[in-house]
Amino acid sequence: MTQQPIIKVQNLKKYFPVKGIFFTKGYVKAVDDVSFEIMRGETFGLVGESGCGKTTVARTILRLIKATSGRVFFEGKDVFKLKGDELLWFRRKAQIMFQDPYSSLNPRMTVFEIIMEPVRFHKIEVGDPEDFVVGLLETVGMNRDHLYRFPHEFSGGQRQRIALARILAMKPEFIVLDEPTSALDVSVHAQILNMLRDLQRERGFTYLFISHDLAVVKYMSHRIAVMYLGKIVEIAPSDKLFEEPLHPYTQALLAALPIPDPEYTRKKPKIEIRGEPPSPINPPPGCRFHPRCPHAMKICKEKEPPLTQVEPGRFVACWLYTGRKG
Amino acid sequence: MSGEEYQKSVLDRVSDLFIELLAKLIDRVRPGWYERNRSKVSEWKLMAYALNRSPPGVIGLILVLAFIFVGIFGPIIAPFSYRYFAIYDAPGSDLAQPGTVVVTKDNRTLYFPLGTDHFGRDLLSLLLQGARTSLVISIITIALGVPFGIILGLVAGYYGGKVDELIMRITDIFLAFPALILAIAFAAVLPERIHEVLQSNAWLRDFFLWLFALDQKDAGILSRPLAVILALIIVWWPGYARIVRGSTLSARENLYVEAARAVGLSNRTIMFKHILPNIIGPVLVYITLDFGGIVLMEAGLSFLGLGAVPPIADWGRIVYDGSQYFPRAWWLIFIPGLVVILSALGWNLLGDALRDILDPKTRRSIEFKLKKRRREE
Repeated sequence: MTQQPIIKVQNLKKYFPVKGIFFTKGYVKAVDDVSFEIMRGETFGLVGESGCGKTTVARTILRLIKATSGRVFFEGKDVFKLKGDELLWFRRKAQIMFQDPYSSLNPRMTVFEIIMEPVRFHKIEVGDPEDFVVGLLETVGMNRDHLYRFPHEFSGGQRQRIALARILAMKPEFIVLDEPTSALDVSVHAQILNMLRDLQRERGFTYLFISHDLAVVKYMSHRIAVMYLGKIVEIAPSDKLFEEPLHPYTQALLAALPIPDPEYTRKKPKIEIRGEPPSPINPPPGCRFHPRCPHAMKICKEKEPPLTQVEPGRFVACWLYTGRKG
Repeated sequence: MSGEEYQKSVLDRVSDLFIELLAKLIDRVRPGWYERNRSKVSEWKLMAYALNRSPPGVIGLILVLAFIFVGIFGPIIAPFSYRYFAIYDAPGSDLAQPGTVVVTKDNRTLYFPLGTDHFGRDLLSLLLQGARTSLVISIITIALGVPFGIILGLVAGYYGGKVDELIMRITDIFLAFPALILAIAFAAVLPERIHEVLQSNAWLRDFFLWLFALDQKDAGILSRPLAVILALIIVWWPGYARIVRGSTLSARENLYVEAARAVGLSNRTIMFKHILPNIIGPVLVYITLDFGGIVLMEAGLSFLGLGAVPPIADWGRIVYDGSQYFPRAWWLIFIPGLVVILSALGWNLLGDALRDILDPKTRRSIEFKLKKRRREE
């Protein structure tokens, strides 16, 4: 893996206005000052509970929704300023696989049309279209019989494969995987995930893997970022994060992970966090986690901890560590 | 149990045959189409089965097909021209009763199965000719008004924000007036303007004369039915803008729209290829229902004296003219009235049935029932 960032996100913010009767009442800070880099060929995991802004990050990076502020660089080019041919190039090179395969395929188009549409649009040279599409279908574990069928004739797993074939047709480099397995049966999870890993090995894809399922993220990712209420609280290499989580929120998350071993379950440290995540419309001042944090200090209520490097490759936003390292 | 798992009725077999024929025809024009669209064809068959299982739908379809058939061929199969005025001395009446044989002054013996109107024209021929007027007016109104409404609704729903506000407020202004009142106002004002246009465009005049199957002599009053068409278009599009906007608002939230955006497709492609085909179902139902509505409203406008004037044959106008001879000449009221009711009813029944047919859930349940019955045997 080369240490060269393919995607660089700087101070990304996305606020959704909450409309009152006459004027804007406030903002939902779905993504608030998020920065990270993704290296070419790696899988960057993004975890966090529902509603913490994971998907918003992905949609903003791909310019599917307009960012409030911040910048995103894709292969050194400012994504938000791309125009014309360069924008088309970006649209081709950066793709997204959605969570819900039941709504991500146009029900009025056959599999062939679904896969060929982007190819025709981007004028990608493919030779015989039918052979090309069959080739892609075989790559994702389907076959020629499925060519002229409609999405409703397929199961969730098969639809997700079709969605993947459509992405592969564009020969992208960077793919956002927005909870690609969470809508599927557990029995299909492994098939899809292994296929994604194999494809990465063969074709050198870079993934941004979004999930709330820690086990899946651990299996897939090289590095993992943990999000809480629109902010990244910790970034660490996958194995390190699971061995020694630093941020109290990460610790609590990992402690909640069920492990099928009664001995371990009895012995393992119990870290409880109480309550619900606060509303992102009015996030608490200081560290957003402080009302639920077992280690909350005075400074946590007053100042927001910056995301700082505590070890090479390990970043955490918590006064427990930031104070220690100065 | 391969192809024989369906328990089909006679109607199903007829519709199967018809759809197969249609598919083969398309295949002839575009080779390989049938192979690629097997799923689509079997879906069509299921839709036909769904229709076959709804008696009102079948009755509606028959009425609608009859209306269209008469609308197209009526003027040709009519026993008399709508401009044939029989002059005769009927004993005791200047209007021939239904089923009377009349000897005209030029010594011709004529049979009027449905009687004559006060000009001595054959009522049956007038009704057949009037079907053309009704059909042409409803088709042009739908063909121009609906796409206009659909495009505005799509744009408003897809872009949202200020564009949406602007389009929908204009739509609201049109919807604020009762449709019939607005149509009356336009139908009363427009004929003179249209008359001028027709005067300077001979080909346009000839085209409409041909469309309405009218004689050259009636070119002067052609502007009247055309004014009705324009008035109907003006009052008809806002409904479609509304429906389409609503459906677009929900359809654009689908992930395949977002996927299309991620591919980089233009807004126009997304609107017309990804959103429109998925919301066209309810629109089709409304179009069918509105055909009936337009037939009624057109007859209503003519009845008020705003549409076609004699000698152009028009169902509403026949009733209007006949009302002066009521109750003596009852056939001038009841028979055209019945014809109007049957056409409007046909479209409405068909529309109601379509609502069920276009719902994939109904189709699946019918597929299920058909297969299950077979298994029980």
